[in-house]
Order: sequence, then structure tokens, then C-alpha cells
Amino acid sequence: MKRITTIIMFVMTLGLIGCGGSAGSPGITENEILIGNVQDLSGPMKELGKIIPAGSNLYFDHVNNNGGVHGRKIRMLVEDAQYNPQKTVVAVKKLIEKEQVFCLYNVIGTSPAEAVRPLLAESEIPLIAPATQSGTMSDMSRPAAEYIFHTDTGYDIQSGILIDYAKGMDENAVIGVIYQDDDYGENVIKGVEESEAEMGITVQKESFQRGATDFAGQVMNLMKGGCTHVIIAGIVKEPIIIMKTASAMGFSPQFMGISPTMDHRVALAAGPAGEGFIAANFAQLWNSDYDVPKLYRELCERADVPEAMMGMYHYYGFSTAIVLVEGLKRAGKNPTRKKLIRGMETFNNWDGAGTQPLTYNRNDHAGAESVILVQILDGVQTIITDWLK
Amino acid sequence: MKGRYQDENLKWIPALIALVILLPFMLKGMTFSYKYYLYILNTIGIYIILTVGLDILSGYTGLISLGHAGFMAIGAYSSAILVDQVGLPFGLSLIISPIIAGLFGFIIGFPALRISGMYLGLTTMGFGFIIRRLIIALREWTQGSGGLVVSSPELFGFTIKGDWANYFLVWTFALLTIVASRRMMKSKIGRAFMAIRDSEQAAQASGINLAQYKMMSFFISGVFAGLAGVLMAHTNHFISTDHFDNMLSIYFIIMVLVGGMGSIYGAVLGTIFIVFLENLIVPVVEGWLHAMFQNEAGDIESLIFGLIMFLFIIFQPTGLYGMWLKIRIYWKLFPFNPKQRFT
Amino acid sequence: MTSFFTDIGQEIVSGIALGSIYALIALGFILIYKATEVVNFAQGELMMVGAYVNFFLIQTFTSSLGVPTIWTFLFGLLGSIIFAVIFGWFLDLVINRPMRDEPVFSIIMATISIGIVLRALVGLIAGPMSLVPPSPFGGAYIKLGGIIISVLDIFIIGSAIVLVSVFYYFFNKTRWGLAMQATSEDPIAAELMGVPVNRVYSLVWIFAAIVAAVSGVLLAPRATILDTNMGFLGLKAFPAAVLGGFGSIPGAIVGGIILGIIETISMGTLSFHHEWIKEINDIIVWIVLIAVLMIKPTGIMGTEEIKKV
Repeated sequence: MKRITTIIMFVMTLGLIGCGGSAGSPGITENEILIGNVQDLSGPMKELGKIIPAGSNLYFDHVNNNGGVHGRKIRMLVEDAQYNPQKTVVAVKKLIEKEQVFCLYNVIGTSPAEAVRPLLAESEIPLIAPATQSGTMSDMSRPAAEYIFHTDTGYDIQSGILIDYAKGMDENAVIGVIYQDDDYGENVIKGVEESEAEMGITVQKESFQRGATDFAGQVMNLMKGGCTHVIIAGIVKEPIIIMKTASAMGFSPQFMGISPTMDHRVALAAGPAGEGFIAANFAQLWNSDYDVPKLYRELCERADVPEAMMGMYHYYGFSTAIVLVEGLKRAGKNPTRKKLIRGMETFNNWDGAGTQPLTYNRNDHAGAESVILVQILDGVQTIITDWLK
Repeated sequence: MKGRYQDENLKWIPALIALVILLPFMLKGMTFSYKYYLYILNTIGIYIILTVGLDILSGYTGLISLGHAGFMAIGAYSSAILVDQVGLPFGLSLIISPIIAGLFGFIIGFPALRISGMYLGLTTMGFGFIIRRLIIALREWTQGSGGLVVSSPELFGFTIKGDWANYFLVWTFALLTIVASRRMMKSKIGRAFMAIRDSEQAAQASGINLAQYKMMSFFISGVFAGLAGVLMAHTNHFISTDHFDNMLSIYFIIMVLVGGMGSIYGAVLGTIFIVFLENLIVPVVEGWLHAMFQNEAGDIESLIFGLIMFLFIIFQPTGLYGMWLKIRIYWKLFPFNPKQRFT
Repeated sequence: MTSFFTDIGQEIVSGIALGSIYALIALGFILIYKATEVVNFAQGELMMVGAYVNFFLIQTFTSSLGVPTIWTFLFGLLGSIIFAVIFGWFLDLVINRPMRDEPVFSIIMATISIGIVLRALVGLIAGPMSLVPPSPFGGAYIKLGGIIISVLDIFIIGSAIVLVSVFYYFFNKTRWGLAMQATSEDPIAAELMGVPVNRVYSLVWIFAAIVAAVSGVLLAPRATILDTNMGFLGLKAFPAAVLGGFGSIPGAIVGGIILGIIETISMGTLSFHHEWIKEINDIIVWIVLIAVLMIKPTGIMGTEEIKKV
């Protein structure tokens, strides 16, 4: 009996000893800042999981080679969540509790990002540039909204702009939308419904489950509905398959896409079926002549980045990395998570990231609200409009 | 203490309970990221509740279920909706939601009366898909496939928040489940289940009402799975249909198989082993392989997992518990171990 | 009204093609089940492997010969079949020898774990970039009274019919086939009667692998993108096998085609006219499965099996 009591006392003392706090913020050491990223490395979008962080690291390497941020080098950890909200929760927990990262960055997927809100609030940790364009990311009425900083234009805004444009192309356009049945699609439909109310039209809606690879039924239904314009709210695989399926059926409406479909390889993989595809983009085109895209291409060349990798998604990682670094700079020499948040909230029409000018303040974490449209003409992606709101 | 049977040694139940209570303190003292390990232990505890139930159904009664994640989903979503939308107190939901899951178990039990073996496995798998789709279809309450954010449990006026508190909540139930199940299986019910598994005709001839016991087995395992779902929903604060997919059901059956079918302790061991494998061992091996395959983390995980699965099934069909029994007998008989017993 | 009939007709044709793929996968299940009582859960993954192997073979041939021609595809098909033979033999070695006397359930779980391993391996080897398999017939199609049938689909339906007939003949009219039936009924008795049981098992796995490879090669262009989750389709072929009767080879075609038609019509016309059907499209096959098992578990063409207690 006495033996057991001693053991228990010993163990409890150990427990009490462990109760100490730490000096300084987690993830910040004298010469390093630890960033946590969650991507899809082996699931339905695993291509992106390879490309986006590669773009981020391209910029981080550049920054680290030039002295880092206030003398600290940036190191990014990437966890795999297979675009699955549940797994994202586990991954974020691991990053926060086990790896002790300073902040979260680029967590991919609308539903996954929504899923980790409770964790953000619990650990008071900011999430910069979640890799999703859902308008819900900047909805300040949602839990933990004060920790999230959104760099992209919301899907609901995008779908509205696309519908406006379609109607502009053709007054009598019959519009259909095929969308992913989850938070991403929901946000797109929100914009669609707003347009429907505004313009007094009806838009045919077909949905598919996240990760689906067969769309014959939905495409057939859109054809039956006589659609002249079809908006695709998918990511990479879906538009390719959808456009090819339609072409095999002899159905060729004007296909338009929400931003995730914008990567030029999408239309290229669809071959002739992808010709004429119009997509919405919320950043500067990676092969345009602005400063940041130029820097991007320069660094790509120096690092020998294969051409197959360069494109919208690689550039996305790159430009959001610039946003993160700027925020870190503004957090000062002894950054804490709160200081990072304050720093981000000082952004005022800042366009150093090669996207649109970004503005954040206490009540607005939206950052960006317009898009440009790009179209595949003769197999080449070309900008066809200016910034539309 | 001695149990009802001569060689049963119950002395270690209090020891187990003590270990479970002390573990969090030990972890806290050992590492700064103890919360993460508590989180893993919580996952293990929750899964144990389910796998014990699944073992009762598939191991003891011989009714293969390849869709058990569906019951967990029912428990999870029922509780989330009842507590957050209907306003039921958590304590009540803790009782009602598992029963709802158990009722679904009844429903799925009906076909079981006529279908057997692999066909039953396929049927349960089909039910797994159907239940998932049903949850998505009821999107007004369930948010479709977007997932639900769930509140923390509130019991007796306390809000249970954080991995530490969750641990004690989860493991209280896990321990209760283990002890209760063992008693059940050692009693008349358990014997009836095993009789059904070994030979339905013989069981019937001995006067066992097949229909009654089969349905009971489904109900019990459904309730346990539902309970696991409730706990998971409120400690994880998020549930989505993505999680309760076919792969998870297969994981559960693998946990039971690897642990040793038809043994409660086996289910426990199997669950601990698989979760450890996935969360602690695999990342380590991944680290070694990182040089070769950067970035394909999930695939490497699956590969290692599948291989170990396969090797286990081939070389150790009696499962972890079988291994443990062999080791125990070896020690008991030492040094008089007849060689032919241990090849 | 004609438009309605054309629509339904189009869907039926598409359904027959889809169903033929189900039939091929189901054929693989049934072959193995007929000889060994094992349900091979990795059949879908075998198909996926076949599709990927074919893709890489075609890529290598194309790069050395220039533009893919009909010969490239034929070589690709042949190569995949050869690979399937070796792979099937290997799988049998790895599964059946060590597990000769284990309960069927464990063997089935073993096949599940093999499926997991195959999925992961192919994912690692093939890499993350999307791969678009070329179709051997381009986009060629023929038009019959308003209904568009792609040449690919015709080929798929044809292959299914051919393979099912070949195996039906084999099982019922040749000595080896008889040997297989004997082995499945009672392996010990068969062995005592001189049937080389081990070779029977090997052969049956090789057949299943060949069938899987062919279905993979045919499915790939139809699915437009190669994906390691292709094997998931294999799960859907279970209801097809059950519907047709799990021990019956012609049942595979019957079950597969009926299932394919049900699925396509439900996704198309039924969904168009009744919104709520959209919600159950992906689980229609499972509802069918459960219905069949409850009404006539032996399926359309299966026979009642009586086992001695």
C-alpha cells in the first residue's frame, strides 16, 4: 500500500512540474518561425498539394536567402488531410499541439477550413490566407472570424459576376450551374440565388458529390434544360471531365468556371473540349507583366521549376506567401500571435503580393472583392476583361 | 480477487483503472505537447467503445458488419442535432442518441435473419452507404456534406472542454463499456451469441431463439457505436459525413480482427494497436522514407498500414489477444514448454 | 414524345455500356468465388492497376513510335494482359498458400488489405499529376436513329459478352472447368480425386486478373481521367454479381447490364423529372442489392445451394 502511494505521489509531482508555461510564443525561436500548412497530398486533389506549397516555398526560400523576417528564417510544415474536413481537424491539432506552430497558413478546402474554427478559437491562433475562396471565410459573424484573413474573392461574388457577364454576352442566355455539394458549392449557390433574385431569372442547378468522377447524368440534364452557358463550380478534375463528357454528347455551351478551375492546365487537359473556357481569376495572371509575376518567373527560372508545375496554383502559393511574410514583418521584432493579427489589420490597399490591392481592418478580413476573366483562346489563356466587381 | 471462473484474475481491473487515471498526469510531465497525445488517447477510447460492440456482433455472434461507421454517424449526428438544434441537455442525448443508433441496428438486423455470411457483410456495407447518403440528404438539419460544428458536453452543470477533460469523460465510458461487455459475454447472452456463431442449427436445436438473439446483438452493437459517435461529436467539436465512410468501417473490422475476434480484450488491443500504428508509427517510418517520396504522405501511410494489416492477417490470424494468450501460457508453463505447442 | 424515347434510348445504351463494365468486374468476383468461396475485395483495385499499366505501356510505345495507333493500343492491351497473368499468379501465391486453412472471412480481409496496398503503391509510383488516358477510338461514334453510341462503348459491350461466353464455356464444358467446380464444392475431396487444387486456385486468380485488366483498359478512356480511386467502382459491381446470382457466370452479364441501366436512367430521366431522386443516385445500387437479397438471395440466375450441416 505504501509503495503504491509513493508511486502515485511521484507521478503527480511530475504532472505538476509539467505545468510550466513557456517564454515567448510557440513556433518562434531565435532564428526560426514555424508555419503550419494543411494540404491534400494523397486525396482527390493531390496535384494541388504538391504544387501550392512548392510555390510558397519558392518565396520563403527567396526571403530566407535575403536575411529572413527580422533575422528569422521561415520554415513551413505541411500535413496531409486528403481534402477531408475531419482529417483536417486532426492535422491542425497535430500542428498546434505537437509541432507548436506559430500560425496556420493556406489550409486547403472550404469545408476543412470551416471545420477548424473551434480549434482556432481555442488556441487563439491566426489562419492566414486559407486556400479557399469561399465568402464564408470573411464572414465576420462566424466563430473565430477574427483569426482568419482571407485573400481571395468570395465564390458568391464570383458567381454573380459570371452570371452578369453571361447575360452581357447574350441577353437570352439560359444559365446552368454544376456545383460541388458542400460548403464550396453552397457559397457559389448563394451568389447564384442573389443574382436570380436581382435579375429575375432562373438558373438550372445540378450538383455532384466532392470527389465524384462521373457527371454523365448532370451533363445530360443540363443539355435537356437547354443551357447556353454553364458555370462549373469544381476544382481541377471536375471541369476536365465535365467538358469532355459534354463534348462526347455533342453538347457545347459556353463553359465558365469559378476560380479554382482557372488553372490553364484544366482547359489544356480537356483538349479541344476546353477551347473557349472562361474562368474567373482573383489575382494577377502569373505570366503577365506586373512586378510580382515577373519576380515569380525569375525565381522559377533560377530554381529550375519544371514548366508543368508553373501556373495559377503555383503562383497562388507564391503570392499568398508574400502576404504572410508581409504580415509577419508588420508583427515586429518579437512577434506574438496577437501582434500578427494587428499587423495584418494594418493592410491598406496593399498590392505588393501580386493579387489585387488588399485591405484589412478590425471588422473586415475580406481583402479582395473583384475578379478578372480569362479565356482559353487557341489553347492559350488570355485575359479578356479588366477587374470586375 | 477471483472471478466466477477459476482462472480468471480480476485483480488487474483496479490496476487498469489506476493506469487510465494516472496516464494524463504522466504525459503532462513528460512532454509539452501532451495535449496531442491525450487527443490520440481520446480517439482510442472512443473507438474502443465501438469496436467492443462490433466484436460482440461480429466476433461473438458471427454476424459480419462492414458498415459499422454508419451507426457511429447516426449517434453523432443525432446528438449534434438534439443538443444544438432541439436544445436537449447533453446528459439526455447521451442516453437517447445511442438508442436511436441501436434502433437502426434493429432495422438492419431484419435482413440479417435471412441473409448470412458474406452476403450479410455486403448488406451491411450497403447500409453504411445508404445511411451516409441519408444524412447528407437531410441537409436542413445536417448541413449536408459540409459538416456540423458541435458544442461541448455539459454535464451536471460543468462544461467539459479541452483534451484533458475530454479524456476523463471518454475513458469513463470506455472502461464501463469494457467491463460491462465482458460480464455480458460471460453470461447467458454471450453463450447464446457464441452458439449462434458456431452453428445456427445446433443453437436452434438447443432452444435458442435465433431471431431474438440476433436482433439483440445488432441492437447492442448499434448502441455502443452510437455512444462512440456521441462522444466523438462533442469532444471533436466537428463531424462530417466524410469521416464515417466505408474505409472507416473497414478500419473498425480490421481493429477487431487484428485484436482477435471473439474477445473483448482483443478488440481493445486491436484498437490501440491500429490507432498507434496510424498516428505514431507510420509518421516515423514516413520520416525515414521522406527522402524518396516527399509529399505523398497519405499514400505512404496507407501503404504501410495495408502491408502491416496483411502481414498480421497472414501470420497471426488469432490476433493480438491470441499472441498474448500464447505468451501467458508460455510463462505459466516455463520451463516445461512442450515444443510442439509453440511452433 | 420521340424526344423522350430518344432520351431513354440513349440512357439505356449508355447503361448497357456501364453495365458491361460492372459485368466484367463481377465476372472476376464470380470466377474466384466459384473456385475458392473467397470474395475478392481487391478486384476493383486489380482493374485500376490494369488501367495504369496500360496507360504507361501506351505512353512508352507512343513515345518511341510517335502518334498512338491502333497497334499501340493492341500492344498496350496485350502487355496489360501479360502483366495480369503474372500478377494474378503472384497474388494467388501470396494469399492462398499461407492462408489455405484459414476461415474465409480472414482471407477476404486479406484481399481488402491488398486493395489498400495496391491503391497506395500505384498512387506513389504514378505521382500526383492528373493522367489522361487516350481513347483507342478517338471520339468516334455512330448514330442510330437519334441515339449516339460511341465506338468505345460498342467495344466494351462486345468484350463483356465475349469474355462471359468464353468463361461460361470453360467452366461448364471443359475438364479444367469441372475441376474448378469440384474444388469449390469440396477442396479435400477434389484433391483426393486427383485434382491439382493449387493449380486450380492459381488459374482462377489469373483469370480474374485478366478480366480485371481488360475492364480497366476499357474503363479508363470512358472515365476520362486515371485515378487510384477507380477501384471503388469494384464495390458497385458487387450488387451486380448478387443480382445476377453470385455463382453464375452468365448472371454477371445479366446483373451487370440491368444494374447499369437502372443507374443511368435514375441519373438521367428520373432525376430530371423528380428532384428527390438526385439524392439517392449513388446508392441506388445498394438499395437494389438489399432488395435482391431479401427477395431472392440467389439472384436472377443463381441456383439454391444446400449445405450439409
